Amino acid sequence: MKSIQPVISVILFFVIVLCQTGFAGAQDALPPPVGDVPRTVRANESNPVLNPLRFITDIISRADGDRCPMFPTCSQYSAQAIQKHGFLKGWIMTSDRLMRCGRDELRLSDTVMIDGRKRSYDPVDNNDFWW
Amino acid sequence: MLRRIAALFSYPFRLTSRGLLCAFLLWTPVLSHAAGAVVQIDADAQYRFAERYFSTGEYSRAVDEYKRFIYFFPDDGRLAQAMYQCGMSFYLDRRYADAAASFNEVIEKFTDTPWAVKSYLMVSESQIHLNQFGAAVITLHNLITLSKAVDVRDEAFYRLGWIYIETASWDNARIYFEKISSANREKFRLERLSAELSQRAGIAAKSPVLAGALSIVPGGGFLYCERYQDALIAFLLNGALIWAGYEAFDNDNKALGALLTFVEVGFYAGNIYGAVGSAHKFNRTKTEGFIENLKKNTKIDLSGDPQSSSIRLSLRFAF
Repeated sequence: MKSIQPVISVILFFVIVLCQTGFAGAQDALPPPVGDVPRTVRANESNPVLNPLRFITDIISRADGDRCPMFPTCSQYSAQAIQKHGFLKGWIMTSDRLMRCGRDELRLSDTVMIDGRKRSYDPVDNNDFWW
Repeated sequence: MLRRIAALFSYPFRLTSRGLLCAFLLWTPVLSHAAGAVVQIDADAQYRFAERYFSTGEYSRAVDEYKRFIYFFPDDGRLAQAMYQCGMSFYLDRRYADAAASFNEVIEKFTDTPWAVKSYLMVSESQIHLNQFGAAVITLHNLITLSKAVDVRDEAFYRLGWIYIETASWDNARIYFEKISSANREKFRLERLSAELSQRAGIAAKSPVLAGALSIVPGGGFLYCERYQDALIAFLLNGALIWAGYEAFDNDNKALGALLTFVEVGFYAGNIYGAVGSAHKFNRTKTEGFIENLKKNTKIDLSGDPQSSSIRLSLRFAF
């Protein structure tokens, strides 16, 4: 039993690192280029479901830095998805986005310049247009 | 003593007032001369000035000057043209809502003129840019109903066909292209367009249902949609979480197992959702590519030339 604990720890570390890459960098200085996209998780203060996201953007991202290669960043995307479709669908869309963040989407999506840096434009609209 | 102090303090003021008086007297002839040089702008000069801004691409200034012309010379024979040009300036400045409003004004004031016909066409173009495809269709239908001229009706049918192509409604597009009179079929190059349209069956497509079904094995759907990196990550992440959850329960660590299961359910569902969405995105990209290619090869650039009495066709073909 004890021998399995390090394995689980390694797997959890792997998951956290993956998620963190996506969630990092929620506080972009520039306004969004297209549409009326909420800039931070604070867009809807009253929604308690967004508290974990607020923890990530306010505590982790401040220390970790702006590293998400997507726009909106994964935390912004998650907040928007939850606000638009509710917790369950929002959570599924967030999981999907975290798996796609920084990989094939960089090649396939349009590119936008945010803070002088190229990012892949992948808003919620681009992922729920078919339903 | 007090008088001396008061005189001392008032001296600069007296000096300043004298200076101002001198300056006024010196400048009086100059000012009166300048006041005499009144510039009078007639309708021709004002219209030329507006046209100059339009031709140099300074569209927002052109709008101001055309409006000035419309306001000061309402009886001029070029009023309809100026109003149309005002709409064109908005359109070329990418202010499509303003452009549509401006063209609608021309339609209301000059109903039975060629400017109204051109304005109908430009209203529909503006609505297409605003993604108001339904409104653009209605505008063109209105034009077809009101106009008796075959050329105008044919152009409206042609534009309607292209609106349906833009929305990938191929059958509707074909219906409108077939309504074009035989005299104008060659002008609109319908034979080539029809041949290109028939190739739409060759557009590569991915089945969203199959993508979702293949995602039962995490990453399978992404692999099917040619997203190889996403497929690998989905497989590793889901595999690791499933294994970790299993081991946690197997070792009676139920709290950790529940937490891992909760996370994994989201990622597993996300893997299916992402694969289905990827199939839809793949199809959308391929369809857009086909439409762009179709436009490049076959679409005639129809533009309402304000100077000509008929509708100008500028041909762009890839031979």
